[in-house]
Amino acid sequence: MNWTDGGSQCAFESPKGEAPAWALPQSQRERSSVGRTLVTIVDDDESVRESLPDLVRELGFAALAFSSAEEFLASETAYGTKCLIVDVVMPGMTGPELQQELKLRRRNIPIVFITAQTSENIRARMLEQGAVDCLIKPFSDIALLDAVNSALRTN
Amino acid sequence: MNTPGTSITDRPIDDSVSGDSAPLEAILCEEDFRRRASRGPNYERETRALVKLMGALADSPSTVLQTLADTILEITDSDSAGLSLLTKDGKTPHVDGKRFFWPAIAGMWNPHVGGGTPRDFGPCGDVLDRNSTMLFTHWEKRYPYLGCATPLAEEGLLVPFYVEGKAVGTIWAIMHSDRRKFDAEDDRVMASLGKFASSAYQALMHIEDLKFQVAEREKAEAEVRELACGLEAKVRRLVEANVVGIAMFTLEGAIVEANDAFLNMVQHSRDDLTSGRVRWTDLTPPEWHNRDERGIEELKATGAFLPYEKEFFRKDGSRVPILLGGTFFEGSGNEGVAFILDLSLQKQTEAELQRSEDFLAEGQRLGQMGCFSWHVANDEIRGSEQFYRIFDFEAGALITPELIRTRVHPDDLTLYEKMVVQVRTGNHHFEWQYRLLMLDQSIKYLQAVAHATLDQNGQLEYMAMVQDVTARHLSDEALEKARTDLAHVARAMSLGSLAASIAHEINQPLSGIVTNANTCQRMLSAATPNIEGALETVRRTIRDANRASDVIRRLRLLFTKGTAATESVDLNETAEEVVSLLRSELQRNRVVVQLELTGDLPSVVGDRVQLQQVVLNLVRNGSDAMAIVNDRPRRLVIRTERDDGQRVRLSVEDAGVGFEPQAAERLFESFYTTKKDGMGIGLSVSGSIIESHQGRLWAELNEGSGATFSFSLPCMREKEIENEDVLAVSRIDSGDEIV
Repeated sequence: MNWTDGGSQCAFESPKGEAPAWALPQSQRERSSVGRTLVTIVDDDESVRESLPDLVRELGFAALAFSSAEEFLASETAYGTKCLIVDVVMPGMTGPELQQELKLRRRNIPIVFITAQTSENIRARMLEQGAVDCLIKPFSDIALLDAVNSALRTN
Repeated sequence: MNTPGTSITDRPIDDSVSGDSAPLEAILCEEDFRRRASRGPNYERETRALVKLMGALADSPSTVLQTLADTILEITDSDSAGLSLLTKDGKTPHVDGKRFFWPAIAGMWNPHVGGGTPRDFGPCGDVLDRNSTMLFTHWEKRYPYLGCATPLAEEGLLVPFYVEGKAVGTIWAIMHSDRRKFDAEDDRVMASLGKFASSAYQALMHIEDLKFQVAEREKAEAEVRELACGLEAKVRRLVEANVVGIAMFTLEGAIVEANDAFLNMVQHSRDDLTSGRVRWTDLTPPEWHNRDERGIEELKATGAFLPYEKEFFRKDGSRVPILLGGTFFEGSGNEGVAFILDLSLQKQTEAELQRSEDFLAEGQRLGQMGCFSWHVANDEIRGSEQFYRIFDFEAGALITPELIRTRVHPDDLTLYEKMVVQVRTGNHHFEWQYRLLMLDQSIKYLQAVAHATLDQNGQLEYMAMVQDVTARHLSDEALEKARTDLAHVARAMSLGSLAASIAHEINQPLSGIVTNANTCQRMLSAATPNIEGALETVRRTIRDANRASDVIRRLRLLFTKGTAATESVDLNETAEEVVSLLRSELQRNRVVVQLELTGDLPSVVGDRVQLQQVVLNLVRNGSDAMAIVNDRPRRLVIRTERDDGQRVRLSVEDAGVGFEPQAAERLFESFYTTKKDGMGIGLSVSGSIIESHQGRLWAELNEGSGATFSFSLPCMREKEIENEDVLAVSRIDSGDEIV
């Protein structure tokens, strides 16, 4: 397990209602994430892994961050994820490849892509391939909340 | 004749004739001669002398004249005796001679043999004029030159001498003292001897003539014999040597006899020949029958036919090209002998020669190359077909240096004249480039190479090659222009795609800033503000803002500082910048970049943007080369290190598909590319950039997979470093790893 929690509290919602021992956060904060919906972020950019989980938590969700698709797939905590926020371009497995992989594993987690690429049609392409949304960096907290809510509605 | 007496004849007549010389009568003693008492005839002695003379005539005709002189001396009991014969050349008797000469003399005047007297001024001439015997006394009184003929003549008796009725000389007897005087008996004996001498001389001439004829005939016969013998031997040798085919034929078509050479040529055995199975009519392919008929007509008309080329069938049905010539046997109207030469080899050689000539002509045509020779002594210039075409000369036109001059571009005339001077002074080898101005005002660029040789007479001759390099020249120009244009395009293009990278690079920190700011806002606006969390987001916001400004700083360096032609460039920095600029692209291509940068690397001097472009190019190429690699990490190592001899080296090592070893040289050529969508200008432009920095760019295949492209540049010298305005750019280290 090699994700970074950026020093923030890491919370999750276990499908069985209890957190596995290895997933427990290292430091305890006032606000518990128990009972919150788990939103997982996969991005190779460290600054995103630092900042985005905090915002997601401020929006009222539990958040986990992974630096690569491979790490996420190996973690097993993905099973509790209700919404996946994934960077499109990453070394190794890319965002769309992760999407394919999850489909193969019959894990239908709604995905919101995020990307710094400015190309016009990338959003359309991602939506076409079954993404709930595709946010172009930089994006606002409102846009993020809308996208996550849309994702959760598809569940 | 080197006898003392020859002096008489050697002396010119004019010296001898003087105005006061004595009249003819003064030296004649005819009255006295008739009155003198005559001695009795001595027939016995006379007969003995004549027999001796006849014997001499029979035995040794060559000495008969001397025998005659001896006989006269003996019979007349004189002191000297001899004969004078008319001659033209002083030696050979001739009836129209202008002088008398003395072929034989007996007695005291014997030393004067070979001498003689003038036809019209001397005693002999007087005798022929009067056509009678004459008795002279002291003839030197009238003919002073005879004063030299010693001893002097007291009396001289001269009798005319005829051959075939024509007076050709005299016989004579001389008394040098008054021991005795000539009388009528001497006159009679001399007349008789004269007649004998005449017939003897005539016989002698006849014999000589016969001898000559016999000799001539013998000689001719010998020659004929020798010729016949030699000819026969030659013919036999020719037949047996089997160098040429020889066959005896009849007009009906039979081949009666033939040598092995002929049989080999048509692949028939001697048995085939002797059994009559080999017929020239059967050997001849149908299309040659007409030609044979013409040959036979010629043979019938002239007895021989001139050689012509035709074909014969071999026994196996293949054909052999031959040269055929022949003749009838002497006196035969039906049989003859023919010689047959096998032309296979010659035809083959001809074909080969033709082929190589064709190749040469084709090569010259394709290469726009013309050959010509220039014989300097007589300005004889011979050119190949392509030479005429290049200069647009009419086919077969006589080429002179002046004619060539009419085609030379006016601006290059001086050059041309210099060239002609060089030719005349016999420079060994030279090359020029000059232009032609054609009649249609088009310009041709020529390159000429000439090499001096000596012809078979040892005279100076040039073999030269002239090539129309117009197309090359124009394409060189065009290529140069295209290269310049493309360098601009390439630069613009890489800047264009850089813009996308840059946007990406700026959007990343911007995204962090926005996210952190949003988070901060939410943390602070909560019922219980999360001050600690807000401070954290603000810290990250500042960091991301610095990152963004760092990207912008690099960008400014790239675009504004870039135009400076020479500045200090740190290749480590360049490598980092490029990787940073290409980050998203490399990520997209899933390339793992590994920077192995040597610390305290000396700077180089150069154009920052250009060098950056080179590194950018190499990194992109490396990344592209790994696009289809899936069985191993797409690892790209960028390495900087010190190189030998005050140089630094930057290499980009990929794990891609590499390149064909034989393509190594072409990699840096313009428009050479192994990429499907590449234009093939990147490496070429990179190469020229590195070259303009006094550096070297090269490619190597890795031991494992992929290739390494490296360039090496000279370090900045210490002096330059001292003078350098160190760029006061404060780098804000973002602290993050570049992956």
